[in-house]
Amino acid sequence: MVSLKVNGKPYTLEVAENETLVEVLRYRLGFMGVKEGCGEGDCGLCIVLMNGRPVHSCLVLAWRADGAEIVTAEGIGTESSLHPVQRAFIDEGAVQCGFCIPAAVLIGKWALDKGLAKDREKIRWAYRGLLCRCGSYIRFEESVVRAAEGE
Amino acid sequence: MDEETIRRFEEILKAREFYVVGKKVARVDALDAVLGRPIYTTDLLSDRVLYVRAVRSPHPHALIRSIDSSATRAMRGVVDVITHREIPGVNDAGSLTSDRPLLAVDRVRHYGEAVALVVGEDEVAVDEGIAAFRVEYEPLPAVFDPVEALRPDAPRIQEQGNLINHVKIRKGNVEEGFASSDVVIKNEFRTPFMNGLPMEIEVAYAYPEPDGTVTCIASMQNPFDVHNKVLKVLGLPPEKVRVIQAATGGGFGPKSDESPIDVAAYAALAAYRNRRPALATFTREEAMAVQTKRHSFRIVNETGATSDGKLLAWRSTLYLTNGPYYSKGHLVIQRATFHCTGPYEVPNVWADGYAVLTNNTLAGSTRGFGAPEAHFAAEVQMDILAEKLGMDPLELRMKNVLRPGSLTATSQRIDDNGLVMCVEATARLSRWKERRQEYERFNRLNGRYRRGIGIALLYHGNTLGPEGDDFAVVHLSVDPSGKVELQTGLTEYGTGALTSLAILVAEALGIDVKDVEILRPDTRAVRNPGPTVASRTTVIGGRAALDAAAKLRAVLDPLAAKILGCKQEELVYSDGRVMVAGDPTRSIPFRELVRRAIETGLDLRVEGYYKAPDTRWDKETGQGAPYNQYTFGALVSEVEVDLLTGMVRVLRMTAVYDVGKAINPLGLKAVIEGGSIMGMGHALFEEFILENGVPVTLGLQGYSIPASTEAPLEIVQQVVESEGKIGALGAKAMGEIPVVLPMASITNAVAHAIGYHIRETPLKPSRVLEALEELGIAYRP
Repeated sequence: MVSLKVNGKPYTLEVAENETLVEVLRYRLGFMGVKEGCGEGDCGLCIVLMNGRPVHSCLVLAWRADGAEIVTAEGIGTESSLHPVQRAFIDEGAVQCGFCIPAAVLIGKWALDKGLAKDREKIRWAYRGLLCRCGSYIRFEESVVRAAEGE
Repeated sequence: MDEETIRRFEEILKAREFYVVGKKVARVDALDAVLGRPIYTTDLLSDRVLYVRAVRSPHPHALIRSIDSSATRAMRGVVDVITHREIPGVNDAGSLTSDRPLLAVDRVRHYGEAVALVVGEDEVAVDEGIAAFRVEYEPLPAVFDPVEALRPDAPRIQEQGNLINHVKIRKGNVEEGFASSDVVIKNEFRTPFMNGLPMEIEVAYAYPEPDGTVTCIASMQNPFDVHNKVLKVLGLPPEKVRVIQAATGGGFGPKSDESPIDVAAYAALAAYRNRRPALATFTREEAMAVQTKRHSFRIVNETGATSDGKLLAWRSTLYLTNGPYYSKGHLVIQRATFHCTGPYEVPNVWADGYAVLTNNTLAGSTRGFGAPEAHFAAEVQMDILAEKLGMDPLELRMKNVLRPGSLTATSQRIDDNGLVMCVEATARLSRWKERRQEYERFNRLNGRYRRGIGIALLYHGNTLGPEGDDFAVVHLSVDPSGKVELQTGLTEYGTGALTSLAILVAEALGIDVKDVEILRPDTRAVRNPGPTVASRTTVIGGRAALDAAAKLRAVLDPLAAKILGCKQEELVYSDGRVMVAGDPTRSIPFRELVRRAIETGLDLRVEGYYKAPDTRWDKETGQGAPYNQYTFGALVSEVEVDLLTGMVRVLRMTAVYDVGKAINPLGLKAVIEGGSIMGMGHALFEEFILENGVPVTLGLQGYSIPASTEAPLEIVQQVVESEGKIGALGAKAMGEIPVVLPMASITNAVAHAIGYHIRETPLKPSRVLEALEELGIAYRP
């Protein structure tokens, strides 16, 4: 039995020993904002915040998330009340194909929470674990800077 | 609408101050992405689906001696096995040319070619089923090099021989041109296969409807290409197959090509045969192996010029290494050959482009479509020439650039000044002269690092031109609340082009972009709009969107004029209202007008259409006007080379493009930055390596694409506007274009840093180090 909180809501479920957090989040709990791109920790599409830190959820065994607080893109804002990073992503044109964006906004939120927004190089490094083939990295950086300015 | 009416309509739009065109408008679909809403194919699955994967050939060329699926069929969880014998319709999956079977019959021609499909209750069952599947192969002699493949004794890959096509340019008298040249240089350039590598892997989800229709939801660029092949494979009439494009996580060419047809046909076959929903996708490694690659090119350029830098003669020989099936190779070689001189006026040109079948994995459409490779060879050649002549590379270029009145290699007359505008702006923004001197001073310090600045220029023949019928269809309908629904088979997969269509419709109707709702592309709801390729959605699709808006206005104008008591010509649509020109007090909200129109029984559903003029050129000489208009651009790159490790870091890029008319500036900004970064990957590390036809760079650890920390620290950009002849409001193609120049521009910057032009990409550390050793400047601490 594993108990975890996702976007503030508690869940308890039986998981297999080899089941990964991304599988649980996507296919058991239906958080489709969490994407899968390689299953090996290379692309970063499955990044979620676990106890406040970005993790590749394909590299986390579900039972290791027992007691953890997970946040996905679905959990940081709503259409009527977007998170500042989500707002900035829209305004700065950061969304191209959109596929890495749920992970990218979470990294942005983490960078903002960590107070990294003043240092552009640190923002770049925060995104090191996420591959965006559209090459929106500079847009991500601008978005985090802009979100910080708005706060 | 007739051409004259629509032209007048566009003139009217252009004459006033734009309402939304050219303003910073957010992507219409950005909200879904940032909220993580379920919009991609695998987000939309029903509870229990069948999984389908292919049994693939480990050989690059072999006969299939026998197939034994008995062990697979007997396995628990395996529901179905499908070989070519079980295909109910025609075994044809070739995107343009019917030369590629969906499932191999008696022979495989590349590593990873699909031989059979295993359908199972879950992925584990399918994988175990594949492992138990027995195929007995008899390996055949194979060929991987294009020049070897053209020898008479080379293994014949397809019946008709290994040469796909030979594209020629014959302009002026090239021998005389060389004879009168003071300087002649000849160099060979090479580029490797590369992966387009959209982050979302190819995927299709198909399910049977109660009426026998098979519906397929998938990630792709061209729903109608997929539709045409799936119905052929299933042997069903067109109305019994429905294809819907889900949100698509990146296209870059491969998703217009072979692999989306494959996954859709796999899923559709499984769903059709088993009467259950089915999902077909690839692993990342599998996707990288079977997805069409950027072609490998080998290009020899010979160039003659006067001692003061006037180009007199240019001879190019281009070999495109194709996979064993055509895909788009015959078209890619055409674009590469037509652009072989770069954007310069050369009076005498002779070019031969050959596309050649080999037993490498599939290659086909990839962002840029042969232009990045042609420009790499041309633009590095220009830099080598500048060095030989002792001229500044920028000065040499300015002496020869295409200006109004210039003739291209195909003798097409250029009539706009876009290129000169780009070069001048780039030189100014990049502080070309000062930085060049600054880096030369820096390099004289003889430290561990050297710096350089390089430039490259482009012209890009717009949209399909010689590559197909350049038409588009856009449907509009208005609901009683005043919301305009836009639906088309043209697709969004990252460039923001559908937002551009919404902007154009909003502009023409004077409404907010938020009041234009874009519905998903669905083959049942829309007419075939032609493919979403060649950066043509804003340019050509935009014209169809304006045509549709003009047709709506033709329905609404008489009613509005009657209500407002004015002439139809006096109507102005702006700010969500329809008003009388010069008297804004006499107006009616657009919404109200729509409501009354619907009450009156007017039909507010229209279909917009546009077809670009056919282009003409002579096949024997390549002479003519193959494209309707050209995009121009200039890119300056500044690099730092580590003389110890051979690593190249791009410090800054300065990009200026002539976009004709910026419809969607925010979208352009992202596309220019993103394309520059993708092109930087091509320049510095992307290389899909095969050893005797077997891929060795599978997976994201084997094949590197740019990460955030490798992107340039800064990309300075500007757009200039020199209106194109055919594009919507003068727009020119931009989706692919930013990926064209980085290979050339970065290579030239590295040459400025180290004093040598590397002629083969990528400029990976080992290759740069080799050059540094040769030059005797490798750093020894």
